[in-house]
This record gives sequence, structure tokens and C-alpha cells, in this order.
Amino acid sequence: MTRLPRFRDLPVTLRVPLVTAAMMILLGIVASQGVLAALGRVQVARLSEIARLHVEGLSVALGPSVLRQDVWEVYDILDRARSTYDGQRLLLSVVADERGRVLAATDPRRAPVGEDVARFEEGAVSPDTLRMTGEPALRVIAPLLYQGREVGRIVTELDVTDLLAERRSIALWLLVGNAVATALLTFGGWLAVARILRPVGTLVQAMDDSKGTPRPVAEADIPRGDPGLSRLIDTYNRMTSAVEQRAEAERRLAERERFVSLGRLSSSLAHEVNNPLGGLLNAADTIRTYADRPDVVRQSAELMQRGLSHLREVTRAILHQNRLDRAGQRLGPEDFEDLRLLFEPEALSRKQTLDWQIEAASAVLATQPAAQVRQIVLNLLLNAGAAAGQGGKVSLKVVNGDDRLSLSIADDGPGLGSSNLARLMASGPLPSGGGVGLRLVHDLVAGLDGRIHHQRTGNETIIRVELPTGGRGHA
Amino acid sequence: MHTTRRMMMLGGVALAAPWARAQASSPFRFALTPVFLDNDAAVIAALKSALASGMGQDIELVQRRTYQEISGALLDGSVDVAWTCGYPYLQHRSELSLLGVPIWKGRPLYQSYLIVAPDDPAAGLTDLSGGTHAFSDPDSNSGYLVTASDLARLGETPDRFFSRVIFTYGHRNVVRAVAGGLTRSGSVDGYVWDALSAAEPELTARTRVIARSEWLGFPPFVARTDRIADPSVRACGSALLGLSDTVEGRTALQLLYLDGVAPPNDTLFDGIAARMAVLVGG
Repeated sequence: MTRLPRFRDLPVTLRVPLVTAAMMILLGIVASQGVLAALGRVQVARLSEIARLHVEGLSVALGPSVLRQDVWEVYDILDRARSTYDGQRLLLSVVADERGRVLAATDPRRAPVGEDVARFEEGAVSPDTLRMTGEPALRVIAPLLYQGREVGRIVTELDVTDLLAERRSIALWLLVGNAVATALLTFGGWLAVARILRPVGTLVQAMDDSKGTPRPVAEADIPRGDPGLSRLIDTYNRMTSAVEQRAEAERRLAERERFVSLGRLSSSLAHEVNNPLGGLLNAADTIRTYADRPDVVRQSAELMQRGLSHLREVTRAILHQNRLDRAGQRLGPEDFEDLRLLFEPEALSRKQTLDWQIEAASAVLATQPAAQVRQIVLNLLLNAGAAAGQGGKVSLKVVNGDDRLSLSIADDGPGLGSSNLARLMASGPLPSGGGVGLRLVHDLVAGLDGRIHHQRTGNETIIRVELPTGGRGHA
Repeated sequence: MHTTRRMMMLGGVALAAPWARAQASSPFRFALTPVFLDNDAAVIAALKSALASGMGQDIELVQRRTYQEISGALLDGSVDVAWTCGYPYLQHRSELSLLGVPIWKGRPLYQSYLIVAPDDPAAGLTDLSGGTHAFSDPDSNSGYLVTASDLARLGETPDRFFSRVIFTYGHRNVVRAVAGGLTRSGSVDGYVWDALSAAEPELTARTRVIARSEWLGFPPFVARTDRIADPSVRACGSALLGLSDTVEGRTALQLLYLDGVAPPNDTLFDGIAARMAVLVGG
């Protein structure tokens, strides 16, 4: 069961005609109500007039006969009045004497002579207070006055089925008429609004296109006749180019960040390269000095080979760091070895304890792209190392859960400042000052649909990055 | 015979002429009762025209609501001749004389009918006990005397026997009262009911005749005995008896569903007299 979209989620080209339709319907209801009320008033007035004339006319004619209790005369007058009157309207007229006994009625079988008239007075009103109740027959009661005194009363039953039918038919026509008019006007309104809002639609489409990367509106689609809208679209187009420039700048910045992180490692890496060089030179001297001693030469050559191998590893890791993003390779345990190779000298130079636990399975690691994850981990490690300071403690723990890869980088430094935390956790504009390393981590994690958790326990800061492994979106 | 009558009529006209001129301000007044004729303008106009032509003088047709009013008008001289019922004629037998008796279906006789609604299960007068009843006039033979005397024979009076009795002062009204359901039953002139069943079949169809009386003297034309020799009264009598001889007269008779007018014959009213005796005796 899908929920209906909320009104404010609907496109404006639909909302405006809907609002117009709603207002038309409201207007139609109010107008119809007015017409029906006026019709009701006219009908009631007509009915009251008929009832009043009928009762008054009969009152004059019946007075003496009622006074004499002349059953035949009363019946004769009622019967002749019925045949000459609007016989369809008057269903029954009952005349009673002052004691409330029926003297005669137009239909004596319904109201036999001598019966109590109370039965017919039920729900009867005076002609002046007559109202349409929806009942097919209405009763009117009036006193019969003769020579200034009340000699009896008359109850008349009026048939109003035709008036009700008229009312129903008018209500039906109003309903149909209003429905048709509303539908036509709504359709017209929709057409007009859709036409008026077409540039806005183009604008919205341009904004929605290509996964949130705004596309400028073509010059041909800009309504030059509408200064407000064309200004809006021009502004939008300028914004799209600004956004594009910003994205380009960010892209370049991220590119540079790789070198920045390597730059941050340059000093320790230089040591890493320099340290074996002394040993290598010594080994070379030893070989030159003891060229005739094969055992010393072999020993020194092995020493040189180990040193050169280490150098090759270091340079390979550095080169790898620079190239990987273009290779589109998947993450593997060797990437973490590279990272260790790059970061360990930095940690050692600060006499820091490095706790390195890679427990995630290769298959799980392979769900992630190598370049991005390497950059994320390296940036976080560099940050942690800087925070931990001399003799501090830095740890990396990579584990896999059910459907995610968890990378935890911890340090015992003083913790992240609020501006750095904002760079890492939030998507808002960058706080001024500081580098872009943490923001790059944030953007890379977001790009992999992952999440970043920050935790400060005791004197330990833990940044945990969780990357989903279930989907193939980034495979 | 024809010539003789014509001579007589001419003579009558000649004799009446000075009187008629003298009486020009007060025309001959002929009373009808709506109990009997109701207010059919065409019938009244045809009768008036036929009589005026037969009498050779203008006449005024006077209508009253009840037989009592007609009898009173006749006795006090405000009308000259009246078409009334056998019962009021016999009530004032000593002061009134017959001018003629209408012939209906070949005889100067008619019946009284007892009517109810078509769905009423009653089969006779005794079944109507406790119901409402419509009479036409307390002085009407067919519309009161017949039923009242029948009840008297049963030891009853209308007021006791019926829950309520109303007088409609018109035979047609009795039919309307029963047809409309105002009363359960009614006593009506058989001649009027038959005439209505031809003229307004939808009205009589809503009633059913459950009892018919014996044949009784048809409502007669009467005048005051002391004025019976008046030329105008005699002329009127002749005009009535000769109605079937003229085109206008036949038109009027046709509208009245009558065949003609028979000469006076008191024995025709013996049946009504017998019923009056029952009522007085009861």
C-alpha cells in the first residue's frame, strides 16, 4: 500500500490547478447552497400563500356551517373547494368543531365524522411558520373564526412531493452543471498554469538532472518575455557554473591532497630512505675493502640486497599511493601493508606505539575500491599520529561485520576540535582555516555510502568508518 | 282534440292577457326544489322556456333549499305553482291541489333507493344499524319518509337506529355523501339516482343500491286549491300537460328523463299516505 504523495510534494503545475479546482468546488457549493436556499424560500413562500389562502377562504365559507355543526354543509364546501382548487396540492382538509371533533373532511374515510382531530394535528403548524421539512406531506392548522370567536379549526395536509422533486432536480442540475464547469475550468487552469510555469518546469528539470549536478538551462528555453523568470534562470545558470567551478576546485584539491598526505610523510620517509643508505654505503666499502674475501662479499651483498629491497618497497608504496586511483583496483590486505610501510616510520619518529590489526577477510576488503579507502585510512592515521604526539599510541583496526567493513582509527591525543569535527562529520560549508584532509575523508566516505562515527572514551579518540559491503553500486 | 286544446290555450291566453298585463310587474312564479333537480342550468332553462312558451307568458323559476320553504311559499302565495314531493303535498292536502304528475318510464310512479358504498357488505336496511345515514330532506318521501316508515315498522327511529343522521337537502348530495364516504348509507330518490347514473355514471358507480321501495306517486306539480281556477294557474296546468306536444317541451322532458305529464290522480299517492300513517302510528 503506497501512501499518496503529500500535497506539498506535488509539482507546482499540478498544485495550482488543484487549488483552483478546490476553490471552484467551494464556490460551486456556496453558490448552489445559495440557489437552493433561495428556491426553498420561494417554495415556502408559495406554499405558505397557498395554505393561507386556502385556510382563509375556507374559514369565511365554513364559519356559519361550523357554528351550526352542519356536517353536510361543511363537507359540501370542502368537497367543492377541493374540486375547484389545486386538488393536487391539497391532500386532505379536516374541519373540527371547538371541542376538537371532526365535523367533516375532504376524505371522510380517513377522517370520519365525530373522530378526535388530535390525530391530524400532529406536526401541524400555522401557515406563517410553514417550512419544508423533507416530508412529502406537510400539515397546516388554523383556527376557524366566525363573528370574532373561534368556532373550530381546520387542518390541511399539503402534498409537496412536486416541490421536493423540483428541489432535487435543481440540486442535481446544479451539481452536474458545477461539476462540468469546475472540470472545464480546472482543465483550462491546468493548461494555462502549465504553460505559464513551463520555464519553471524546465528549471526544475535542469536542477534535477544528472544526479544532483545542476545543468544550465539552454538559452532557447529562457522566457525573455518574462523579466522575473528570465532573471531567475540567468541567476540559476550563473550558479550552475559556480557550482561546477567549485566541484572542479574540490576535485583538484582532492587530487592534491594525496600529495599533501605524502608530503606530510616526506620527512619520515626521507629518513626511511636515508637510514638504510648508511648501511648500504658501509656494505659497499666492505665489499671494496674485502673483495678477495668471498664470504664477506656475500654477506655484504645480502645486506645490500635487504636494504635495497626495503627501499624498493618504500618507493613502490609511495608510487602506488599516487597511481592507484586511476587503476580502479580493489582493496586488499597488501594495501594495508603499504599503508603501514608509509605510516610506521612517522609513528616511530614520534616514538609512538602502533597497534595494527587487519582482521577483515580479503573477500570483504575486495568490495571496496583501493584508492579511496587508502586515502581515507592514511588521512585518518596522519591525523591520529599528529594528535597522539610524542610517545603516544595510535591504532588501526579493520574488521568486517555482517554487511559492512569497519575501519577504526584510535589515538590517545587530546581529541578533535570542534572545527575539525565539523570538517569530518558535517556536509556544511568548510570552516575557515585548516586543511581539507578531514573534509576529504567525509566526502570519500559519503561517496562510498558509508558512515563516520566519532567516539571519545576516556582519553582515547576513536573514528570509526563503516562502509557497506552488500551493494554492488561501487563495484 | 288537438284543435280543441289549441282553442282552449288560445282562449286561455286571451283571457289571461289583461291579467298578465296587470301582473306584468310580478311574473308567474314556478317553484322548484334543488332536492330534486339540483342546479343544472340547462334543465332549468329548458323547462322555463317550455313552460313560458306553453303558457304564453313569462315565468320566473324560484328555487328554495327545502320542501318546507317551498310549501311555505306556496301557502303564503309567494309562488303560484310548485313541483314538490308527494309527502309535503299530502301534508298540506287540504290546501293544495294537483296540476299533474310527471310520467317516468311510462308510469307516474317512482321508487326510493337505499344506497351504500360498493364495498359495503350490507344487504338491507337492518344491516345499516349503528352507521351514519344521509337523508335528503325531512319532508321528502323517497329521501326520508320511506326509510323512516320502514324503521317505524321495526319499532325504530332514524336517530336511534343510526349513529348519526345528516340532511343534505338534495338527492344528488345524498349520492355524493355516500360516494365520498361521509355517511355509510343514504335514502335517495330512485328517479334521481337513475338519472344520475346516465348523466354522472362515475358518481353513482361509487354507490350501490341495496333496497328499493314499492312504486309510489311521482313528485307532482301542485297549486293552492283556492287558486286552482286562476287563469294563469290553469294555463300553467295546461302547459305542463301539453309539454310532450311541443318541441321545446319534449326537449325539457328529455333533459329531465321524463316521458310527459299525466293528469291529476290522487290515488297515485295512496302508498305515501299509508307510509305517513305508519310514521304517525309509530
